[in-house]
Amino acid sequence: MGREPVAVVGGGSWGTAIAHLLGREDRPVRIWVRNSDLARQVNEERRNPKYLPEASLGAGVQASADLSEVLAPCRTIFVVVPSKGLRDVARAMAGHVDGDRILIHATKGLEGEGCTRMSEVLREETTCRRIGVLSGPNLAGEIATGHPAATVIASRYAEVVEVGREALVGPRFRVYASRDVVGTEWGGVLKNVVAIAAGVSHGLGFGMNTMAMLVTRGLAEMTRFGLAEGAEIETFQGLSGVGDLVATAFSPLSRNYRVGVALAQGQSLETITQGRCQVAEGVRTTQLVHARAGQMGIYMPIVEAVHRLLFEGISPEAALADLMAINRNPYEAESVYSRVG
Amino acid sequence: MFTTHGRIFAFNQERDAILQEVVQRRLVAHGRNPDRLRLDLNDAAFTEITRIEEAGQTGGKAFGHWRDLYRRIGRLDATGLETELARLVWHYARDVVGNFDPRVYGFATRVVPPALSFLWRPQFNWSRLLNLSTARERIRVQGPIDRIRALANQGTLILVPTHLSNLDSLAIGFSLLTQDLPPFTYGAGKNLFFNPFISYFMHNLGAYRVDRRLRFSLYKEVLKTYSQILIERGYHSLFFPGGTRSRSGEVERRLKLGLLGTAYSAATRRLQAGASRPGIWIVPCTLNYQIVLEAETLIEDQLKREGQHRYIIEDDESSRIGRVFSYGRQVMNLDASMVVQFGEPMDLWGHQVDCEGNSHDGHGRRVDTRAYLCRRGQPCEDTQRDHEYTEELGRSIVDAFHRNTIATVTQVVAHAVWRLLEARFPGADLYGLLRLGQGAVLSEAQVLEAVEHHRACLHRIAEAGGIGLGHRIRTGTAEALLAAALASFGMYHQRAALARSGPDLMVDDPKLLLYYRNRLTGHALDPLPEALRRTVAEEVKIGT
Repeated sequence: MGREPVAVVGGGSWGTAIAHLLGREDRPVRIWVRNSDLARQVNEERRNPKYLPEASLGAGVQASADLSEVLAPCRTIFVVVPSKGLRDVARAMAGHVDGDRILIHATKGLEGEGCTRMSEVLREETTCRRIGVLSGPNLAGEIATGHPAATVIASRYAEVVEVGREALVGPRFRVYASRDVVGTEWGGVLKNVVAIAAGVSHGLGFGMNTMAMLVTRGLAEMTRFGLAEGAEIETFQGLSGVGDLVATAFSPLSRNYRVGVALAQGQSLETITQGRCQVAEGVRTTQLVHARAGQMGIYMPIVEAVHRLLFEGISPEAALADLMAINRNPYEAESVYSRVG
Repeated sequence: MFTTHGRIFAFNQERDAILQEVVQRRLVAHGRNPDRLRLDLNDAAFTEITRIEEAGQTGGKAFGHWRDLYRRIGRLDATGLETELARLVWHYARDVVGNFDPRVYGFATRVVPPALSFLWRPQFNWSRLLNLSTARERIRVQGPIDRIRALANQGTLILVPTHLSNLDSLAIGFSLLTQDLPPFTYGAGKNLFFNPFISYFMHNLGAYRVDRRLRFSLYKEVLKTYSQILIERGYHSLFFPGGTRSRSGEVERRLKLGLLGTAYSAATRRLQAGASRPGIWIVPCTLNYQIVLEAETLIEDQLKREGQHRYIIEDDESSRIGRVFSYGRQVMNLDASMVVQFGEPMDLWGHQVDCEGNSHDGHGRRVDTRAYLCRRGQPCEDTQRDHEYTEELGRSIVDAFHRNTIATVTQVVAHAVWRLLEARFPGADLYGLLRLGQGAVLSEAQVLEAVEHHRACLHRIAEAGGIGLGHRIRTGTAEALLAAALASFGMYHQRAALARSGPDLMVDDPKLLLYYRNRLTGHALDPLPEALRRTVAEEVKIGT
């Protein structure tokens, strides 16, 4: 059983980090990358020179640009492609996977106006049922360097969690189990909005009090939203909730955080996005979540402030002033259930 | 003339073997673990003692037996525990297992349908008594019958109907018969077996007995195992996944999936025994009545027990022969007074199935269903996995129920009028509306406008495949719908949900109105136009 190869679909930095974890002790891993030149380079250099050069890949890791070749021998498949491309990739996978396969995606994001979650996309496009999500405070660079870290795999199917855990767990990587797919996925999505707010705060020169306020109250509104979507409250108190939020909001490396900093420095959204090939996920998320929270009547003042800042042209100072001005109630309940945040 | 195919015709030869297998599997499942055995026996004894005490039947033999067992459990060794378990499993398995007598079936199929026709057509007429055409006119059966028939010959069908009335089983039996579909085995409440005449037929027509009073796991496991073995051996089975008749009149939204879940273990075992595919298919089915026999009792019960534990109703319209007869004479005299709608057959994962039993997903791709029950290519049991599959299947069945619901005039008019009451008494809760709605008078013009709004809305939903429409709703005007609904409301119930009152219309029984309206609540009909709501709110007429 130890010799059965595991597949990774997607050769970006996070996909490469997962292949790095899976490939320890020379275990067989097949990784699909779009570009056949990159596949060749990966196989020759035993690392991914384009996306995560610092991660060494075990002797058993084999890259290929041929999806069917990668998937054929693998029962367990990690899907790690950007949220925008996931549907196309899932569609391409559909002909090669059956109901016996285990799909675990590690993509934090949403699709379209309907806010379709990634596991829902996989479910719609393939005939697979044993689907799970991996999410947590996992910055690819730190994983590659071997810093101790932990993650969550959530699935309704116990088998998915067991198999995923067994493939990934190692001396420096812990895996926790969860059944709350909805909460785990939303945690990874919502934290990006709070990370933008954290970046703004830092860019404006504020210190840790402000940061702690944003992160804590940000978690409260993430939880409130998650509950309305059917998530469990504990999930937001775990690695894929507060854990991921802390890592993202306090990390100057995170793209969303850097968007916030740039906004605070007075740059417009257009200038910020122009300079990058990868748009920070949080920008799109803010738009989608803002609309959905409005429809569902969920109170999310931080999302509201970030939305005004990004799309309604108000200044960072004004956005912050808005955020502080909401505190008008004589008694402000801290509970996530409270509509008066 | 009628079907004589189907596994069930061989039931009696297999009966003992099946019984033995139930016992065998239960014993194996319990293993030789004394702690587990003790726990299950304790659970059974304790639950039964409490139940018998609450029922005030402590004088009976059963009570003494359970008390005795309860005292001894602690002292029994592994062998003693196993002996007790085996004895109980045998006892309950024998109690559950049904019988099938082809002669009784033959007799019933010849005699029952003409008798039904007679019931449904009061003019005594020998020529009618000898053929089925009358009942055929009254009960319309529709759906992909050819495909269902084809699948019945290739595997096991599980029929899952909605449940509104005690006439459901009759209507289903009738539909199977006239469509040349084989008979199905099903679990019937033990209370239905108390009448020796009915009991004789049920018992010999493949029904097995379910004692809903028994709530301990040992009994439930015997039931599940029995059901699983029947499915595994190819007996077409029928479950009412709603568990009991819908009290509110709503289409079932939450299902009891225990017995349905046994289909997955049955499928896995079939694969392990060498079958190339599970070969078990689900056939959803909706029963759509213009007027429901027990409507008054059911909604009364719903309102009394809202949010509480539901009790088994032992006395309702269906047990009063006069009501049943009056129902038959009046309601069944309506043309197409009832529609039995069979839905698209699906596999255990909710995929569509073609005539050859092949599954296709939403993109039209062939699905290998065997893979769902495998690990690394080998079929294997996994209770947790199957539990999730069952939950997902439950959602597919609920969807199918809604898609296959056939809206009738009584429901549409009730829904429209209920909305008018909501507009008339803004802010009133359910009980407020029931109180204030009593005797409320509405102008015909407003009712017609509301009915027209609902009619148009249902047409849109039907076009998108979200619901089916009865003949009148498909073709009739709002006036025609209202007239038909008033006629139906007025013909059988003690009081009419809605009746004429001079030039206006009056709500005479708001509970019945609620009951018929509830059938459509799962379909998210658009709210009434703002203008109409405002007019209704402003002009308050006091009822007579």
